[in-house]
Amino acid sequence: MDVQAMTTHDWLGVFFALVSAIGMVAVYFMVFRPANKDRFEAQSSMALDDEDPIKLGEK
Amino acid sequence: MEATQATPVKYDMEVVRWFTIAAAIYAVVGTLIGVYVASELAWPFLNFDLEYITFGRLRPLHTNAVIFAFGGCVLMATGFYMAQRTGGTKLWSNKMAWFTFWGWNLIIVSAVVTLPLGMTSGKEYAELEWPIDIAIAVVWLSFGLNHIMTVAIRKTSHIYVSNWFTMGMIVMITYLHVVNSLAIPVSLTNSFSIYSGVQDAMIQWWWGHNAVGFYLTGGFLGIMYYFVPKQAGRPVFSYRLSVLHFWALSFGYVWLGAHHLQYTALPDWTGSLGAAVSLAMIIPSWGGAMNGMMTLSGAWDKLRTDYILRFLVVSLAFYAMSTFEGPVMSIKTVNALSHYTDWTVGHVHSGALGWMAMVAYGAMYHMIKKLWGVERMYSESLVNVHFWLATIGTVVYVVAMWVSGIMQGLMWRDYDEYGTLTYTFVESVSAMHPYYAMRAIGGAIFNLGAWIALFNIVMTVRQASALRGTNAVPANA
Repeated sequence: MDVQAMTTHDWLGVFFALVSAIGMVAVYFMVFRPANKDRFEAQSSMALDDEDPIKLGEK
Repeated sequence: MEATQATPVKYDMEVVRWFTIAAAIYAVVGTLIGVYVASELAWPFLNFDLEYITFGRLRPLHTNAVIFAFGGCVLMATGFYMAQRTGGTKLWSNKMAWFTFWGWNLIIVSAVVTLPLGMTSGKEYAELEWPIDIAIAVVWLSFGLNHIMTVAIRKTSHIYVSNWFTMGMIVMITYLHVVNSLAIPVSLTNSFSIYSGVQDAMIQWWWGHNAVGFYLTGGFLGIMYYFVPKQAGRPVFSYRLSVLHFWALSFGYVWLGAHHLQYTALPDWTGSLGAAVSLAMIIPSWGGAMNGMMTLSGAWDKLRTDYILRFLVVSLAFYAMSTFEGPVMSIKTVNALSHYTDWTVGHVHSGALGWMAMVAYGAMYHMIKKLWGVERMYSESLVNVHFWLATIGTVVYVVAMWVSGIMQGLMWRDYDEYGTLTYTFVESVSAMHPYYAMRAIGGAIFNLGAWIALFNIVMTVRQASALRGTNAVPANA
């Protein structure tokens, strides 16, 4: 690899590729860490919690 | 349980109702135009020598109508609905939501006027000229700001994953739209892209594929993660997987656009990178599809009687299929056969009809019952009829395009013993005719389903309004 020939755009590309890769690894770690399991799964029924009525005619 | 209130929240749902009805109407109109342009390809006399209704002018009207009119209204209806319901709060600004509604519809009307007149920037899925592009940015930002601020003022501590998907879409589409639409205006109705050559192509497909990724996939996954659990009455199978699904999509999707430009002037490595990341995206996509389907664990019997749930589950099957097919088509060897053929059209429609429209209709039926406070649709049987018409129409369409696409690819690259092409291009066009007719029929079947859905929705609303007139007490969801 010719580092001297790399342009600003090349370095930006490398930077964002690394940020994405590291970010993805961090997300995998966060999600699959056993200590976080209960915290995440506690939200699994959140969509079911909003059963209060919607009144007709609200503007 | 965080979102349950002792006293019911007063939501701003009127604008959601209008977006939902508008979506049902645009679905009919958008697919009807699609059927017409498909018929023009099968029977060209349908052009009637009128430039306003030629394929080249009506095709972008079809894509704009189904993606931005139908899809946009569904995304805005559900976005506002989910943010309020999961946050236990009303909209940050109801007035701004109405501005979004009327602004979005005005943009749609302007597309209906300008595209048949031939006013186009020539960029796929971004054909509208620069004044309309500016209007899109303003109205989209009004939706985005309102949605994000509604999430910010929520009464719950956690932001539900559906809202993450919607917000991800809002952020990504904002900058994709602005960057892709940058142009030098020469008049009110004409402009030139600031990019040229291969950069223009790259920006075009960076936008094109991310519109699919964040608008037609991310936005609709938000719908899936809310409405599948709601309709099934079951919690999300794995909330952790849904979080992973969101972030994997966010990190991964932006790299894929170059796979649309294999074997072009684009540097070879960019296409390879696009294909490699496309293949990697199968994992989170299938994880998400399985997550949605497994949410039905213990409730599969509901599919026998719950026709709305059928829409949602079949949409997940098409989502899984499309997210496998797409990466396979991005591999250079496969792409050499599939590119520029109808296979691509079939792939897009398996996603658009099978995934996007199906999950949208599932959400719309669910919302209509809640929004108008009725236990049942006007006709549950018609929901079932619509489901089968949508499913059969999609399958007929997609199979026709698969067959014609592979035939096209094989005919175009077939050489005889002297090294000359076996078939002329015209022969390949002639061979497509039965499949183009079959495609038009598949689309017409799907369109018939959309008419039935509109009828059922209108009758449900009328019935609810009549009930409201006779009962002083508001109906409950």
